[in-house]
Amino acid sequence: MNAPFKATKKAPVGASHVEALRAVLPHAVIEESRQTADQITVTVKLGSLPEAVAYLYYQRGGWLSVVVGNDERALNGSFGLYYVLSMEEEDRCYFVVHAAVPEGKEEFPSVTPKVPACVWGEREVRDMYGLRPIGLPDERRLVLPDDWPEGLHPLRKDAMDYRFRPAPTGDDETYAFVNDAKEETTVVPLGPLHITSDEPGHFRLFVDGEDIIDADYRLFYVHRGMEKVAETRMGYDEVTFLADRVCGICGYAHSVAYANSVENALGIEVPLRGQAVRAVLLETERLHSHLLNLGLACHFVGFDTGFMQFFRIREKAMMLAEMLTGSRKTYAINLIGGVRRDILGEQKTRTLAALVELRDDVTRLVDMLMSTANVEGRVKGVGRLDPQVARDYSPVGPLVRGSGHRRDTRVLHAFGGYEMVDLGINVGEGCDVLARTVVRAQEVYDSIAIIEKLLTDTPRGPILTEDFTYKPHKFALGFTEAPRGEDIHWSMTGDNQKLWRWRCRASTYANWPVLRYMLRGNTVSDAPLIVASIDPCYSCTDRVTVVDVKKATQKTVPYKEMERYCRDRTASPLK
Amino acid sequence: MFKLLKEIFRTGEATVKYPFAPLPVEKDMRGKPEHEAERCIACAACTIACPANAIGMTTDVQAATRTWSIDYGRCVFCGRCEEVCPTDAIRLSTEFELAVARREDLTRRAVFRLARCEVCDTPFAVAKEVAYVQDLIEATAPGAEDAAQRRRLVATCPSCKRLHDVDQLEKLGVGRRIEETRR
Repeated sequence: MNAPFKATKKAPVGASHVEALRAVLPHAVIEESRQTADQITVTVKLGSLPEAVAYLYYQRGGWLSVVVGNDERALNGSFGLYYVLSMEEEDRCYFVVHAAVPEGKEEFPSVTPKVPACVWGEREVRDMYGLRPIGLPDERRLVLPDDWPEGLHPLRKDAMDYRFRPAPTGDDETYAFVNDAKEETTVVPLGPLHITSDEPGHFRLFVDGEDIIDADYRLFYVHRGMEKVAETRMGYDEVTFLADRVCGICGYAHSVAYANSVENALGIEVPLRGQAVRAVLLETERLHSHLLNLGLACHFVGFDTGFMQFFRIREKAMMLAEMLTGSRKTYAINLIGGVRRDILGEQKTRTLAALVELRDDVTRLVDMLMSTANVEGRVKGVGRLDPQVARDYSPVGPLVRGSGHRRDTRVLHAFGGYEMVDLGINVGEGCDVLARTVVRAQEVYDSIAIIEKLLTDTPRGPILTEDFTYKPHKFALGFTEAPRGEDIHWSMTGDNQKLWRWRCRASTYANWPVLRYMLRGNTVSDAPLIVASIDPCYSCTDRVTVVDVKKATQKTVPYKEMERYCRDRTASPLK
Repeated sequence: MFKLLKEIFRTGEATVKYPFAPLPVEKDMRGKPEHEAERCIACAACTIACPANAIGMTTDVQAATRTWSIDYGRCVFCGRCEEVCPTDAIRLSTEFELAVARREDLTRRAVFRLARCEVCDTPFAVAKEVAYVQDLIEATAPGAEDAAQRRRLVATCPSCKRLHDVDQLEKLGVGRRIEETRR
């Protein structure tokens, strides 16, 4: 057993990037500020924004985490744009490039032509704040529905009350789906709605016979406006409970990321034991999430017995969560400054015993899955994510790790309880569905090891600190590695015990833009399998529209039917 | 295939009898918050703590009542109400089967009588809350006379207190003294 962990003061990192940026773009940098030891915000001239972001992204090993828009007109007469980059090669840190867009001239040079990863962020900033990205190749709406009135930008402070629902401006869906195919294709629409699901999406597959030539999708059908609610209705200390609800699977990761962002902004030091409890619960969440996805991987290749077996052992992870937090979903445990529930001796003993059992179970089931004859045949080489496409779009989690990139927030930007453990990054080289599945299986063992380590060597002391005061207009990032990848939150306090701005970026948001490239070149029957391999909350897609490019016909296939076809691979719904 | 069959035989039956048999839950599970109106003093601490606005209160001055309510449809089972309650009137149980046939049935209410101000006779605060505070401060009062005075003070509404204060200040001539000091 190792010596108990002691906290050390972190040395400030990231200065080399500022120097390098000043050297390359001598007149661009206006101001720099530091939020924490590993977070720097640099203000650049609006005109130099694309060059600055592109330089840091491609020359300094930066990956785009999120683009944040902010209405700061009441504070300094301008809108703020924050491009958050995770610097992952040398001198690792979070580097935020900030530029101010003056009120009255609400446009900015788009970064997307230089860094494709910015595309969703800039489309969202345009929808929510009405700032026009000049030169953005994709000018379609992202978040706002097609029938939303022009000129109403919900996150502007003077735009609307959070309860306001404007009357629809039309009855038609006017969204133009993009098809890059050179020849004629057939359209297969997947979606948009399934009444019972929380995250519907509309997929459109452009096919030639059974082969997918291109794909496009429209999401955000049930945007819940959580950021607006948090900014206008809730106290900053209550938002942890709302952040839980961002996701039905990895809500705790969001809650921790949010709490961290406020703690970083206000300079709060969470007691070590509180940090350890948070890490234990984050890993418990990863256990049940990865076991769920491994089960689904079985389901989509038509191996439902395997699906049942994985869900049977997943239940053990759920029971762990119930025992440790009182809720199967690890909800409502975080407060700003720590956690609300300690892990007691009896719970520790029972958890350690359950983990031994779980490790055996997982070993047997993964062995069973991999030795089942036709599983590998179905997942190997399918849904390939090219490492270069991944580099351009900054996806996260097992998806990007399956394509050979070493990206794991827990290791690269070790935070909280993860500073107390030694952890490697699981990387797959196959770039396909198989590689992602194997990465997830390996991470299950890592999670078990982390929980065991943190429970055996838990630091003693309090789990919560209340020794802090709310300060106005402070901002910082918070981040966690959710089961699906990095979750990142950018929060700025207001002056009324509320938030001025809360930007929450879920991991799947970073993964959607590359899906299109993963679908190309595969067959229609593999589409649900590929979508499932990025592990979205699966209710995301429930129907498919298939468009045959040659015959120029269109046919809507119910999702159940697509799923059946994926499993059985007989009686194609397209014929 | 052999490994799969082995696993299936190893497992045996995994299905539980629920709902035909009760499902065992952890003793610390956070389930339905149970409100005990007898213990409640309607102090409103839980309505402020509730992040989901599931707990609320409305006052009817005409009827001299205040109604406390909880909407289980909004509840997120966080247990903040339990943490802040000074009288242990609300506790989270382990009950999780909350389905009802009508949405209204998800709301539970408790009506409290308001106390009238000793001076102006308008209803101003929940009678139980007033009594609770009176008992508390009486217990800490240095003498019997102080105790009686404090009881009266608590039973007086804020606007009457304000008037009384102005009256007292006038009698003490504080204003005059300030004027003199200024000169």
